[in-house]
Amino acid sequence: MQDKVVLVTGASRGIGRAIAKHFASRQAIVIVDFLRNSQLAEEVVEDIQSLGGQGFALQGDVTQEEAVRRMVEEIVDSFGTVDVLVNNALCHYTFNPKLRKTAWELEWKDYQTQIDGSLRGTFNTCKAVMPLMKRQNFGRVINLVTNLIDFPIVPYHDYTTGKAAVLGYSRSLAKELGPFNITVNCVAPGLTYPTDSSRDTQEDVRESIIRLTPLGRLARPEDIAGAVAFLASEEASFITGQTLYVDGGLTMR
Amino acid sequence: MEQHILAYFVPKGICIDIHEEHTFGEYILEFPNLSSAQVMELSTRLRLNRGKYLANLKTERIVEIIDKTIQLWLNPQYPLRKLAETLLPMITAYDAEIVRLELKRFLRGFRKKDLYRFLDEEFDNPGMLDNFRPRKSGGFTRVYGPELILHFFSGNVPGLPIWSMIMGLLLKSAGIGKTSSAEPLMAVLFAQSLAEVDENLAECLAVLPWKGGSAQFEDLLLERADAVVIYGSSQTVEKIKNKVRQPIPVLGYGHKISFAAVGQEALTADRYQDTVHRLANDVSVYDQQSCLSPQLVFVERGGVISPRQFAQLLASELDRYEKRRPRAKLGDAEIHAIRSLRNRYEAMAISNSEIDVYASGGGTEWTVVYHGRPGFEGSPLNRTIQVFACQCLEEALSHLRPYRSYLQSAGIAVAPERLEALAHCLAQEGVSRITAIGQMTLGVAGWHHDARFNLADLVRFVDIERSAEQLAELYDPDVE
Repeated sequence: MQDKVVLVTGASRGIGRAIAKHFASRQAIVIVDFLRNSQLAEEVVEDIQSLGGQGFALQGDVTQEEAVRRMVEEIVDSFGTVDVLVNNALCHYTFNPKLRKTAWELEWKDYQTQIDGSLRGTFNTCKAVMPLMKRQNFGRVINLVTNLIDFPIVPYHDYTTGKAAVLGYSRSLAKELGPFNITVNCVAPGLTYPTDSSRDTQEDVRESIIRLTPLGRLARPEDIAGAVAFLASEEASFITGQTLYVDGGLTMR
Repeated sequence: MEQHILAYFVPKGICIDIHEEHTFGEYILEFPNLSSAQVMELSTRLRLNRGKYLANLKTERIVEIIDKTIQLWLNPQYPLRKLAETLLPMITAYDAEIVRLELKRFLRGFRKKDLYRFLDEEFDNPGMLDNFRPRKSGGFTRVYGPELILHFFSGNVPGLPIWSMIMGLLLKSAGIGKTSSAEPLMAVLFAQSLAEVDENLAECLAVLPWKGGSAQFEDLLLERADAVVIYGSSQTVEKIKNKVRQPIPVLGYGHKISFAAVGQEALTADRYQDTVHRLANDVSVYDQQSCLSPQLVFVERGGVISPRQFAQLLASELDRYEKRRPRAKLGDAEIHAIRSLRNRYEAMAISNSEIDVYASGGGTEWTVVYHGRPGFEGSPLNRTIQVFACQCLEEALSHLRPYRSYLQSAGIAVAPERLEALAHCLAQEGVSRITAIGQMTLGVAGWHHDARFNLADLVRFVDIERSAEQLAELYDPDVE
């Protein structure tokens, strides 16, 4: 990963933060995209620097095409290109089984919000980096989805639908971008703890998932980061259009 | 922004100087400078306040006040709960998630229904706490709690002092609680919450930190108390007990050893993972610092996994637990204790195929020592457990006898038809609490703590005999 330019969206906390730090530990140049909390993003950059890596925080709302275009331009100005794109950002979602909306309470706008957050955000960033990756005949796109698509152990309808859309989008993209030596893969985490989003998932739900999981625990942000780094690595150069499930064996396909 | 937190609680009007400050992140805990005169004045004041208010409250009202206070704590947004969830992990070094979960589980055990369970468990008629009540054999009985209880709290389990405080209040006793330096906060916060609900009641309580055995006023307080409740090491309990000169109730909860026993029925193909998972939980919660936590486990042969495999699975489960909820950082002495245990058994394992050591690589986070035959040994704690294989659990019983006075809980996993017989055998060897594995660290309302009563051992039963009742009738001016 030496000196590869890696853009991680939604990298100021949780899984994104762990991914950013992991790439930094492999000597990549990491762009820490964040939406609002510049203080948290700066903390990630400090962590990266203390690991001896290079990190830069950049504000950018991935759901806004123009904002993404500007962000990518800025990256190109400073670092020349984007080699690896990790789409991790999602619009705020609290994984609370008790307070989730049931199928009959959801409105279309709930779905729209999630589709915008997941699919539109991914679409915008992919579209912006495609010309760069095509030109250099190299690129790695890794999109974060969820194992709930296959195993909706708690039916978070709107969130899971948004992520399922990303999965479909990623596979088509893999087909079209393969000839340019750009791989597009997904990582599907299981419930990942602790993160701000999963903090409200009650202990008994976490415990019941653990009991069903062959590896006997929940995912940690670092577990997800490891899988993402693998798909970005040289070892994964002949893998595209795939989804890697990082949920301790809860889903097997 | 810095926030100053008082590490003591006293009734209004008692002025105390700050002597020492301890900083935890942005919080500064303020410790008092106590003089003998102040503490004596305090004890007099508490006794007076009790006489004026708490002594006249009906039990039902006391239960309501405590319940209301607990309800405050069961709200995740309650500021003092949030403060405790932030500060306790810093003070105790326990994992924040363990503190958060265990604290609310613990406090849930003191809601109204549980308080009535405590009372009903120990008194045939809890109304005796309020009035003379008729007895089946004639006459009347009333129960009087101590006017002033002196509590010595331990710091191993956050929140445990609340148990003792609540028991005192149910008996209408004023209380002075000495906190441990290991956890000086929770008792103070709880007293503050009581004050939010009923200021007058809280005026009957004081929570103070001092260095045990060193302060002059400790002896004076022991002379003035009507009852003493001590949590701590066996030495602490003995030392304080020996200082009590007058014939008052003294309850001591010293060092205890708990263990688990797993029958082959719990090691079938469908159950063994659950069994291991439960035991790992008991070992990991508060790093075995609670006396309710198992220090060793007997595992019966004949299941689909052998006791050795059980030890291996337990090791993996403890490793996963460590990833989820890391153990507290230890001091040198504790690390040394674990290392020397490992070294001893690793050396034995070279020539003895019946011994195996499974341990976290690098650090001392968890340790499982496997023995191919039954035995008994206490643990240096902090997620260190010994697994003893046996043909049948009954075979293990003979190894308990030398530890009789220390035995407390046995977490057992056996089929229903074995439960009572096994419980009887364990009881004869000194065990006082039989519980489910997976639940070992959670004491329940109304349990007989170390085989005794929580309330009844502290009170005086006063009888009006039938003769007095009958004789009084004679003096009725209107009698026939």
